[in-house]
Amino acid sequence: MATNPATYSPSQSLERRQQQQRRKIFLQADWTRTDGRSFHQCRPAFLRTGAANAASGSAYAEFGGTKVIVSVFGPRESKKAMMYSDTGRLNCNVSYTTFSTPTRGQGSDHKEYSSMLHKALEGAIILETFPKTTVDVFALVLESGGSDLPVIISCASLALADAGIMMYDLVSSVSVSCFGNNLVIDPTAEEEACQDGSLMISCMPARYEVTQLTLTGEWSTAKINEAMELCLDACLKLADIMRSCLKEIAS
Amino acid sequence: MRDLQLSLNQTQRVRLQAALQQLQDLASQAAGSSSVTVADTIPVNNEDGILKGHGTSELDGQVVATLCGVVERVNKLVYVRALRARYKPEVGDIIVGRVIEIAPKRWRLEINFSQDAVLMLSSMNLPDGIQRRRTAVDELNMRSIFEENDVVCAEVRGFQHDGSLHLQARSQKYGKLERGQLLTVPAYLVKRRKQHFHHLEKYHVSLIIGCNGFIWVGEHLETGENDMLEDREKRPETSKSNMICEEQELTFTPLEVRQHVCRIANAVRLLAALGFILTVESIMDTAEASASSNIEIKDMLGPEFYVQTVEREVQRRILLSRKRG
Repeated sequence: MATNPATYSPSQSLERRQQQQRRKIFLQADWTRTDGRSFHQCRPAFLRTGAANAASGSAYAEFGGTKVIVSVFGPRESKKAMMYSDTGRLNCNVSYTTFSTPTRGQGSDHKEYSSMLHKALEGAIILETFPKTTVDVFALVLESGGSDLPVIISCASLALADAGIMMYDLVSSVSVSCFGNNLVIDPTAEEEACQDGSLMISCMPARYEVTQLTLTGEWSTAKINEAMELCLDACLKLADIMRSCLKEIAS
Repeated sequence: MRDLQLSLNQTQRVRLQAALQQLQDLASQAAGSSSVTVADTIPVNNEDGILKGHGTSELDGQVVATLCGVVERVNKLVYVRALRARYKPEVGDIIVGRVIEIAPKRWRLEINFSQDAVLMLSSMNLPDGIQRRRTAVDELNMRSIFEENDVVCAEVRGFQHDGSLHLQARSQKYGKLERGQLLTVPAYLVKRRKQHFHHLEKYHVSLIIGCNGFIWVGEHLETGENDMLEDREKRPETSKSNMICEEQELTFTPLEVRQHVCRIANAVRLLAALGFILTVESIMDTAEASASSNIEIKDMLGPEFYVQTVEREVQRRILLSRKRG
């Protein structure tokens, strides 16, 4: 393969140069986002439950270019090899399709996201209600357009609700990117590639409890506070959309 | 209505819309029940001594739903009935399941519950029909009774203290099911009734509507029910001779019976896809309607009959409400 490349791809250095150019744009105080949103504006969300027939519950979420399908199986009996436990188990798996990113053939399981999804949902599910059993959550990213994990988490909680699994509350999740002095909510893949830092909050809006907080990159305390306020506010609004989606199928 | 993907033409779509609208109107007249989603508060009007049932929890002195579904009240008990949840067994339910594993002295069955059900060797009748202690030989011969992937009909015996589910099959009407189709439908479409075994004599078909949403449609095999009526003393000989006869007779189902099985199975599929309650009456109604309007078995799941079925259901419900009113 190395001697005779089957596909054409632009040289690495060219890509890097373009990225640096883009970075410069993002560092300016005043720039416009590629999709014409303002900095504190989320992408329009489209949510539907019942996307997969074979699953006990499923949901599809589309936030701009990010398209995710989540199916929930179970609760079903835990495998014999696992030890006895009084509480149920949650098993999460996030995978990417081969065509999810502009570079093809990258699709596979995403271990890091799988464990983060598990952490985010764990707190919201009442695991005591199904002892000795396992709930499997399979998330498949059809198209990765940035802020993948928040979309996966929100979509997964919707699928769990659809499957009739007892939860304290829905989990809605939103991320914020930091560019110099600017905070940009719900970043696209392009923006994520150039960010200085990112913050993601998953919360249970009705209880106003946070199930997961992820912070990467350079941040100042004041910025963190500001970003958290922004995220939580967006989470509340996203939860309203999720709730109305569930109401729609109930009536 | 999440299972069927149909390409309806314009008139069919209009008819379907109209029929569904009528159904919705009828339903809203009947029940004023309130639906909730996760974390909605359920108003209890500050009554004290409210009992919080399934699908509810308490937060800051308020009752909060933990499931999506319909709020049900029985006196002081408030609980949420989930819209789409797994089957929840009750003692005495008749269920159809599939053997997934043979363990020492027991079979494990998949029954659409959150755990596998257990059928003990000691809680079923042996093929020779004699009541006695199960020996090691019996245990070794377990595979001759049920193998993996066999479809079995049984009754829920009870729950063990650790929450596992035990089954029993202490009559000849229970046991292995052969020569037919197993259909899986959502469990909430099956209501508990007096009779779950149905012998449709006209078609020579037996229909078992398992409470767990597994439905068996198959050729009616004679051995089962006669044995039940017969004296216990006699049974060993008769069932033995029956078995020999059966073995001699090739396992052959006449074409006509096969067609009946397929027609009834498609009726079940259609009703399940539409989300209508499955009873023997509704299934037979649909099957007979398809036969009388000369719709071929393969076309039963097509758009035309789909719309017709909805319209017939509307008519039925209108009649029902008139009778009541």
